[in-house]
Amino acid sequence: MRRILLIAQRDYLATIRTKAFLVGLVVAPILFGGGFLGIALLRSHPDIKDRTVAIVDRTGVAASAVIEAAQEKNAKELFKKTTHRQIAPRYVFESVAPEGDRMAQRLTLSDRVRRGQLFAFLEIDPANLHPGKDVPGAGVACYSNSGAFGNIREWLEGPVNDGLRRVRLAELGVGENHFDDVLGEIPVEKLGLVSRDEATGQIRAADKKSEIAEFAVPFGLMLLLGMLVLVSSAPMLSAVTEDKAQRVVEMLLGLVTPFELMMGKVLAAVGISLSSSAVYVIGGTVVLEALGMAGLVPFALLPWFYIYLIADVIMLCAFAAALGAGCNSPQDAQQLAVLLMAPVMVPYFVFALVMQQPNGAISTGLSLFPMFTPMLMLLRMALPGGVPLWQPWVSLAGVVACTFGMVWAAARIFRVGILIQGKSPKLAELVRWAVRG
Amino acid sequence: MQAVEISDVTKSFGALTAVDDLSLAVPEGSVYGFIGPNGSGKTTTMRMITGIFYPDRGAIHVFGKQISRARSQWIGYLPEERGLYRRMAVRPLLEFYGELRGGRKVTAEVNGWLERLNLSQWASQKVQTLSKGMSQKVQFIAAVVPEPRLLILDEPFSGLDPVSADFIRSAVLDLRRRGVTVILSTHDMGVAESMCDYIFMIFRGKKVLDGTLASIQDRYGTDTIQVAAEGGLESLEGLPGVDRIRDLGQTQELRMAPGCDPQQVLRTLISRTRVTSFSVTKPSLHDIFVRIAGPEAGETKVA
Repeated sequence: MRRILLIAQRDYLATIRTKAFLVGLVVAPILFGGGFLGIALLRSHPDIKDRTVAIVDRTGVAASAVIEAAQEKNAKELFKKTTHRQIAPRYVFESVAPEGDRMAQRLTLSDRVRRGQLFAFLEIDPANLHPGKDVPGAGVACYSNSGAFGNIREWLEGPVNDGLRRVRLAELGVGENHFDDVLGEIPVEKLGLVSRDEATGQIRAADKKSEIAEFAVPFGLMLLLGMLVLVSSAPMLSAVTEDKAQRVVEMLLGLVTPFELMMGKVLAAVGISLSSSAVYVIGGTVVLEALGMAGLVPFALLPWFYIYLIADVIMLCAFAAALGAGCNSPQDAQQLAVLLMAPVMVPYFVFALVMQQPNGAISTGLSLFPMFTPMLMLLRMALPGGVPLWQPWVSLAGVVACTFGMVWAAARIFRVGILIQGKSPKLAELVRWAVRG
Repeated sequence: MQAVEISDVTKSFGALTAVDDLSLAVPEGSVYGFIGPNGSGKTTTMRMITGIFYPDRGAIHVFGKQISRARSQWIGYLPEERGLYRRMAVRPLLEFYGELRGGRKVTAEVNGWLERLNLSQWASQKVQTLSKGMSQKVQFIAAVVPEPRLLILDEPFSGLDPVSADFIRSAVLDLRRRGVTVILSTHDMGVAESMCDYIFMIFRGKKVLDGTLASIQDRYGTDTIQVAAEGGLESLEGLPGVDRIRDLGQTQELRMAPGCDPQQVLRTLISRTRVTSFSVTKPSLHDIFVRIAGPEAGETKVA
């Protein structure tokens, strides 16, 4: 054990003293959270150029009502209430008289959109005035070439329906002064559940739920785990290959067993991941505290976070050490790196599915698969509603068993592979070393 | 007691038998030289003694104990392929290796050896800044701190300049005087002859020589003539009773056929040319090596 600790200490210090480690500490979250950071940036710097929308109103009565509703929406959403800064584009409308040849008119308007004179154009058919079950052709067409992020359709849906409803109400003889009363929108507020305080016996009111928090906390936690695992296990592959290429290993194997050497390296990686996690967890808590959002930190899940982190790092680092031992050059190692990424990347790809149906069969099954457990079970545990009590424990048993199995197999591969020079490994060969020792 | 006892050991890698049914006893306190062509099994044997490889068959005992999975803190090992953490400074690196083997702090010993091998001023430098010879000396220190009972050196002098080689040679002999058993492999027959109490030659995985230099030479008898004559190699060609000629440039080594009389050879030679030196000796280790491991450049088979 003393030798394992000595090797771990050397490798740990050798890693955290490098500039690459410090740079990685800053860069990794940017890389991993980059997409989301991008969206946040886009939101804080929205495009506020006016958007001109042409309306071809074939009902003859809807356009003015739709425009009126849209202008009300503009007035409501255009400026931030606190700073009066414009935060959304203004929608400007242009009424276009309908022509007989619909296709020709659509082409003309489409060309105007292409030239940038229009942002989009709407075509409102008479069928939309009274869209009963029996009326075919209901649905307002919105022609545009803007990307998904433009969300023009979502924006227009409200004013279009509002406008059409106003026309219908007017037809029914309802006075304009009643419109707000009839059409006023009431928000639905999402709340958590009411619970009883165990200590005082009092009933605790439900918390208001922020949808961002519900998304961001579980996702952030999963992302942090995956990132820490990847940044501490990925360098292992090249480090072992480098030690092998520099012939350091034979010197070391004269002093320690291959198992001791491998475990020393794995332990160093665990230390590195714990150090990095301390930076992120403490840093994140301090930042959220400063923003008055300390309540978002899922303290109750931190023990699970760390158990899964340590197990995942051990599992993947042992795997990486075995792969590294089989390789003879960084090129070899790169080809195998994809195997190492899979346990982190697969959860990253399926997280949306798991978030939509956290207790569905696929989500449960995937999160019980030991390689994916750390990230996916943690994600499910952090989601509102949580998971059945047995699942974290059963999956933990799977993770522990898998970790031991991985270390055992890796040590056998490591022992054979580490002294073989000049031969690139095949996967089948690695498996044979693991089986035969 | 024997420092190392190898009994009927075989080790194969796939279809290749690297060491074939080898038995060897290394007496405590001796210097044992391993010789043999490249790929003959020297390094594999050494790796088995250090416990890096396990034999497929047979047993290895070090100081009476079966070499176990746990590396023995008694053995210092200098591998043929030199490898040091290039980005570490010399002193911390040596302290790391020393502590790994000895289980205790070895600062004083490291400092002593750095001074002895003239490396003190490099102690805080990174290994990657050292010359090849210097890093080889550093690696030697890593093998001898803390002082082992058995020191295994795989090609300790290869690539060293004569001054550095002398430093290492005197350090090895010093350790031996203090009772350390030394096993070293070398391609330099001069080193084997001058430093080793016993010589072991392995060829294609099998033991072909084992014993003191004198006992090995005795097996071959006094069948060698060292000669220097005007006209060099040309003047020696076709001498009756001479099997082989090894051209060393200024001098030549002749191997006599069984039953050949050296006086007759000398007489014939004097009749041909002017002889400046003529001595009848036992074959050199080099010659014995070549006789076993096959023809080499510089040697002419007499038709």
